[in-house]
Amino acid sequence: MDGTPLLQIDNLHAAVEDRAILNGVKLDVRPGTVHAIMGPNGSGKSTLAQVLAGRNTYAVTGGSVRYRGLDLLDMEPEERAREGLFLAFQYPVEIPGVNNAYLLKAALNAQRASNGREQVDAFEFMKLIKDKMELMRISKDFLNRSVNEGFSGGEKKRNEILQMLVLEPTLAVLDETDSGLDVDALKVVATGINSLRHPERAAVLVTHYERLLELVVPDHVHVLSEGRIVKSGDQQLARALDERGYDWLRNGSDDP
Amino acid sequence: MNAAELSAAFDASLDRLAESDGSRAARRQAMAAFARRGFPTRRDEDWKYTDLKPILTGRFDPLPGTPNQDHRRLTLNRLSSLELAPDAPRLVFLDGQRLTNGDSSNLPSGVEVTDRHTAWQRIRSIQTEGQFREYPLTAINTAFSPDCTLIRVDANVVVTRPLHLIYLGGAAANSAEHARLLIDLGANSRLCVVQHFAARDGGGWTNSVTQATQEPGSELTLYRLQEHAGEHFHTELLDVALARDASARLGYVDLGGRLVRNDLRVRLAEPGASCDISGVFLAARGQHVDNHTRIDHIAPHTASDEAFRGIVGERGRGVFNGKVVVHAGARGTDARQSSDNLLLSERGEVDTKPELEIYTDDVKCAHGATVGELDAEQLFYLRSRGMDEETARGLLVFAFANDLLRRIEVPELRKRVVTAVAGHLPDYEHWGGLL
Repeated sequence: MDGTPLLQIDNLHAAVEDRAILNGVKLDVRPGTVHAIMGPNGSGKSTLAQVLAGRNTYAVTGGSVRYRGLDLLDMEPEERAREGLFLAFQYPVEIPGVNNAYLLKAALNAQRASNGREQVDAFEFMKLIKDKMELMRISKDFLNRSVNEGFSGGEKKRNEILQMLVLEPTLAVLDETDSGLDVDALKVVATGINSLRHPERAAVLVTHYERLLELVVPDHVHVLSEGRIVKSGDQQLARALDERGYDWLRNGSDDP
Repeated sequence: MNAAELSAAFDASLDRLAESDGSRAARRQAMAAFARRGFPTRRDEDWKYTDLKPILTGRFDPLPGTPNQDHRRLTLNRLSSLELAPDAPRLVFLDGQRLTNGDSSNLPSGVEVTDRHTAWQRIRSIQTEGQFREYPLTAINTAFSPDCTLIRVDANVVVTRPLHLIYLGGAAANSAEHARLLIDLGANSRLCVVQHFAARDGGGWTNSVTQATQEPGSELTLYRLQEHAGEHFHTELLDVALARDASARLGYVDLGGRLVRNDLRVRLAEPGASCDISGVFLAARGQHVDNHTRIDHIAPHTASDEAFRGIVGERGRGVFNGKVVVHAGARGTDARQSSDNLLLSERGEVDTKPELEIYTDDVKCAHGATVGELDAEQLFYLRSRGMDEETARGLLVFAFANDLLRRIEVPELRKRVVTAVAGHLPDYEHWGGLL
């Protein structure tokens, strides 16, 4: 668990049109760990996730982010993806006219090209995704459907996790992947996330609720409030938040 | 070629045109109607956005040209590159004239192609002064069309194989191609036709008229693919009349041509008739594409669904004018219409104009028009999956078109169209596996 962090966020500030949302986030993520970032609505959780993936609607106004020794903020979204960073979207985007098989294969081949590896052909690709689709309980006809079009909320989230399983990211950032899922879907999604746990990989789970963290047990739990991490702990912290809400943190009390 | 020159050319050639097909009266009536009406100008509301001046000032030979042997050979050589499948049933037209030796020997069973005499009789029985006033170019087509093809399917006959009609224009330089097609579908019959226009460059003009008459319960699928060379002019009218419970599925794809004007007229004349219309066009580098549609809901419980999508680039112009008329008494009408346009350049232009005229209560009418750029969320999503920006942009443009193209039910045609559309977009060679 020692060595350089995979991700080093230092004093990160970000804003949307002049409105400050992140106000000095500091976080180190080491390989092999799972971090949960919790916090009330509007605390900046999703902004943090999107800034890490390179969404340009947010302006970074200060601080730095290093990822695998690289200046992450200086990289285009696609470069970040090819370097093994993956964002599972809170609201996966529908793209009518592009089918899922194509997107999965294009994403995989873009990553492989940047790693100097050979492209996968249709046959290898099918072999590669078969088990992963079964794990995510996704049927075969899904491949010919347009990306996320007409999917239920649960299907969209499972599709995000399927993409993650195919790309095997070094750092996965999951933005409210648990929201809107029923118990069974939550289990499927958790199984997917857990299957990627590996000493060289890490994950950041952005979530509002604790229930996902009973299935994907985090090594660290952080509370984000008004654009800052105001408290860090372990799973016990998440449980305390689940019982008592977030108000006690704002009231300045230290103990749950 | 102004109206007076047309008239003179007509008088000089009527004998030759009407030599043996009994078309004289119909042609005369059409030419007289045109003489009274004249060419449409931009002062006509229906022609506000499209100026025919390039055709009027062009030096077209209004008659089918007599191609020299080289032109003819070069044009015919392209046939194999246009066929959907090596053995697909087809009819081939050269500058509007049917080539009997270009036909595949096997018409789909159940399809009858009548003699020209019968076809002209049919035209005479349906043509009206009002039609010529509304569609003056149809009058020119009637006056000058070198040929006329009537396709008939008898009642209760279901034709399973699509019939491919290939229109090769430009065999003679500056020639006009007045293609004329009639389709009569008997009750409960079914037919799928692919009209495929592909003229060579030579500054020519295609002016096509297709009229379909559908008896009760018949189903027509008609795809119209336009792949003219870049300097060609294309105007056309597709006129479809549907009886009780008949349905039409019409699909347009416009990829080529300099000035393109597609008129569509659909009459839902009896209860239960319905139509489903979709169109995709690309307009860039000075291309002008105008889709002008009018759907008449004449009877109760008729339905129409119309979706056009345009991709307009540098110096391209897209026009959509979609009129829906719900007549008095046409209660229970369900009409939907959308016109969505991607404007990819500041030097492109889109004019889109929905027009609803509703003369009855108890109807559902929905229409929407959009002109916009690529969706930023979609772009970010693709890039976050490792796709570079240029490829992602190209893919989203393609997806915008493909969302309609994927509805094409003839697999060989869908493949051809999808590949052709992709071929007009940047970076498509990176998309391996999509097509």
